[in-house]
Amino acid sequence: MHYAFHFNVVWDHWRELAEGALLTIRLSALAMMIGLVVATVCAYGKAAGPSAIRWAIAAYVELIRNTPFLVQIFIIYFSLPALGISVDANEAALAAMVVNFGAYGTEILRAGIESIGHGQIDAARALGLTRLQTFRYVVLFPALKTVFPALASQFILLMLASSVVSAISAVELTAITNSLQSTTFRPFEFYFVATGLYLGMALGFRAVLGGVYWMVFVRGQRS
Amino acid sequence: MSTCLKHLGMAMLAAASVMVTAQTASAESTLDKILSAKKIRVAIDVANPPFGVLDKSGQPDGSDVAVARQLAKDLGAEIEFVQVPSTGRIPALLAGRADVTIASISVTTDRAKAVMYCNPNGALSITIFAPQSVKLKTPADLVGKRVGITRATLEEATVPKMAPEGTKIVWFDDLASTVQALLSGQVDAAAMTAFAEKTVADANPGKHLENKLLVTTAFYGPIVRPGDFELRQWINTWIFINTNNGTLAAIYKKYTGIDLPPLPTF
Repeated sequence: MHYAFHFNVVWDHWRELAEGALLTIRLSALAMMIGLVVATVCAYGKAAGPSAIRWAIAAYVELIRNTPFLVQIFIIYFSLPALGISVDANEAALAAMVVNFGAYGTEILRAGIESIGHGQIDAARALGLTRLQTFRYVVLFPALKTVFPALASQFILLMLASSVVSAISAVELTAITNSLQSTTFRPFEFYFVATGLYLGMALGFRAVLGGVYWMVFVRGQRS
Repeated sequence: MSTCLKHLGMAMLAAASVMVTAQTASAESTLDKILSAKKIRVAIDVANPPFGVLDKSGQPDGSDVAVARQLAKDLGAEIEFVQVPSTGRIPALLAGRADVTIASISVTTDRAKAVMYCNPNGALSITIFAPQSVKLKTPADLVGKRVGITRATLEEATVPKMAPEGTKIVWFDDLASTVQALLSGQVDAAAMTAFAEKTVADANPGKHLENKLLVTTAFYGPIVRPGDFELRQWINTWIFINTNNGTLAAIYKKYTGIDLPPLPTF
């Protein structure tokens, strides 16, 4: 098959592509930070909360982990206006990503929390630490260290999954790419470049998260 | 005896070399491949009523699909549908996943830079529609309003040009999402073909949707890959015959409810 590549078309639109990539990075980074807070609260609730809260959190985690991300996005974007809540596409995308990462994060953190020996918790309580202090200093910190690689992988997956939010008109990298390929009729050029950008962002995030791990869990503990 | 064998050998060599030359001179065309495999792969968009839809049993239906079936039948080939979203209509063809795209692709000069058009086999108009309560009489009323359009469609090529500065254009990947955005109030108005608009309005009488502005009227036709002249010529011949015998008009009337306007050729 014959196809003549014209990559100069891509250069004419580098600014739009950069803006799309920037929104992908902003959405992903914000969703990770807020999602991690959600996950921590839920993991604590699941480990130490009353049974009603434990059930509610379990239901949330299972609901999100067993339904497609695209459907979750559609539900948030199309049904919130019916409840009188107005959200634009970017807000709906961020909300969906937080809810999604929160559920996976809860499950990952739970595994980390279960890896902490019961003797440690008993010792902390015997030393007079409150439940919350025990959770923060004795359970959460080592648990986070243990599951950090799994959290980092889940975050990269979230960043790549953000490509589907173009379906609700959020103008991240995939949306820009789709618009550009459909107006310039140069699909291969734009999809190749988008692939490269996603790869670059994933590797970049991996490096940053590796740096965070070293700063917090390696250097931080040494001093 | 030995000279006889020698002659035979030379004749075979000559014949073989002729065959090799013939093959290098003209690679098998897409039309040849379709005819020898007795199978044609047609890219269609089944999320674009009334041109392409899925019927109650999940089978492709619509005017584009009916045209494609008739075309394949007359070609003597089995049809294989390649279902694509509106954004995939040209990429699927260029990537070689389909031999031809029959998905009501309006003829535009920009698209013609990437693919080859056959003669038009239908016409459509793009309109902007909205709930009754939305004030929209002239294009100037679009200022400050959110208007939903679908990527890789004629709307995308025309609405941004006619909309004045200050119009908030919102892009969706497929028509279903654009419609859902209008019905859920995520956009104030939406642009699509007049036929799609009628389907949506009929299915949602409670929303009081009405036609507000005409954007453009255009002809659409099948597209083939650049260089597939033999296939294009056969399809043009098929369109010529089926325009004259009324088949195209009958299909168009059946699915759109209106008469097919006279089709120009190029």
